[in-house]
Amino acid sequence: MAAFAAILRKDLRLELRSGESTVALLAISLLILVVMVFALDASRARGAESAAGALWVALVFSGMLGATRALLAERDNNCIRGLLLSPIEPSTLYAAKLAAAFIFMAIAEIGSVILMVLFFNLNFDITLIRLAPILALGTLGFAALATLLAAISNRTRMGDLLLPILAVPIFVPALIAGVKASASALGGTPESAIAEWLKILIAFDVLFVTAGYLLFEYVVRED
Amino acid sequence: MDHFTFLVAAYAAIFVVIFLYVLFVWRRQSALEAELREMEARLKELIESPRSDEELPSRHP
Amino acid sequence: MSSMVRKGLGYLSLALMFVAIFMVFDWVPTEAEQGIAQRIFYFHVPCAWVAFAAFGIVALAGILYLWLGERMWDDLGYAAAEIGMVFCTLVLLTGSLWAKPIWGVWWTWDSRLTTTFILWLMYGGYLLLRSSADDSPQVARFAAVVGIVAALDVPVVIVSVRLWRTIHPAVLITKTGEHGLEDPRMVVALLVSLAAFTIFFVWLLTLRFAQLRARTRLHRMGQEIALAEMRAGDR
Repeated sequence: MAAFAAILRKDLRLELRSGESTVALLAISLLILVVMVFALDASRARGAESAAGALWVALVFSGMLGATRALLAERDNNCIRGLLLSPIEPSTLYAAKLAAAFIFMAIAEIGSVILMVLFFNLNFDITLIRLAPILALGTLGFAALATLLAAISNRTRMGDLLLPILAVPIFVPALIAGVKASASALGGTPESAIAEWLKILIAFDVLFVTAGYLLFEYVVRED
Repeated sequence: MDHFTFLVAAYAAIFVVIFLYVLFVWRRQSALEAELREMEARLKELIESPRSDEELPSRHP
Repeated sequence: MSSMVRKGLGYLSLALMFVAIFMVFDWVPTEAEQGIAQRIFYFHVPCAWVAFAAFGIVALAGILYLWLGERMWDDLGYAAAEIGMVFCTLVLLTGSLWAKPIWGVWWTWDSRLTTTFILWLMYGGYLLLRSSADDSPQVARFAAVVGIVAALDVPVVIVSVRLWRTIHPAVLITKTGEHGLEDPRMVVALLVSLAAFTIFFVWLLTLRFAQLRARTRLHRMGQEIALAEMRAGDR
């Protein structure tokens, strides 16, 4: 636990000093939302459904960046080797990186939710609170998956280009659940309609956090 | 197009794709055999190369 | 598996394939509702079965590789993923050629179609990963991890896609492959082509597996020879 906290603290401090990742993530989210506004028919598509869709597109693609950033810091100067040589379990390292990616993504998402409300002519009201658990679960699932896969794609010839190719198809079930639940939440449907989708998100999170925690060791091991 | 065309197209697609894959496997096999022959030649050369100290064997004759 | 047995399997699957073709085109009665296009079914289903079996083997081989660390399991996973991808492509192709005359569209986001397509994307990524890195224990571990993660995802994909589709019903009436096969000859034809494809799959898998094994050994041998040559050069 102490090791987990130490690595996470280090990553957050690094981020506080430079602000690189969060600014980049926010910028990407902003640009994706702008692209979505232009890509969707402005007269018809300003509803909750397209807002939810745009938000999740922003989440997936900025998340890709977030997961890569959290690991990239260790690749420079071969810091990852130092971490692996230290008596820290690889699974602890995974948990810390996952937490860092989650925090970066969450900050970017708060920004994108605000932008979404502005761009898609929604209201700042209580329905936005209902988005919080959905987004949190989706972000956790994506961060879990992307942290594991980024450690792989990172060390192949294709590099970070491979990450979306591996991660997006696997993320599809959570994406479906997340978009549907967010659209319902913004559209004001009762909680019960969202519950089914939340169950899928929770199942996805449990599965991939566990898988990442157990499998990360095999990904970072060197020989 | 009538339905029979689709039926024939589907079965043709199956056999074309399978044929292409078998062809690919077969070509891999030839490549592998070529590699094996080359390896055998290198091994043979290595075994037959002179072992005395004064005469250095050339790696690439 | 000895090469004799493998050869026998190859000829057996070929013979069964001919029998199945004959049955499909000449022997089986035409289904009342869908007409002649329904006959795609007899090869479409075995392709799907082979693809799913192959992807199952990928996951199993991945687990065994991480657990036992023997290179053999990695080669098995690679062979199965490749063959699974070939048959998954065939499922999508034949499915599309079946959908057009019956549903009127080449593609619809029906739950089964979507699930198969997502599987195709996942294992496409797996093969891309394998091709984008050199052949090494590291890549073998990466591939094993991706294979396991992809297999873990399959049940979640199935559940979510089904829920997605029932909440948003398709415009078309999506009739699935279940026709209740009213004639016993239909069942026989399906079983024969299932047998033909299963044996063909075993033949192909053992062939490709043996090939990959040979390649792995050859590479190892090549490294040893290079080392020996260097030593000979030093003397």
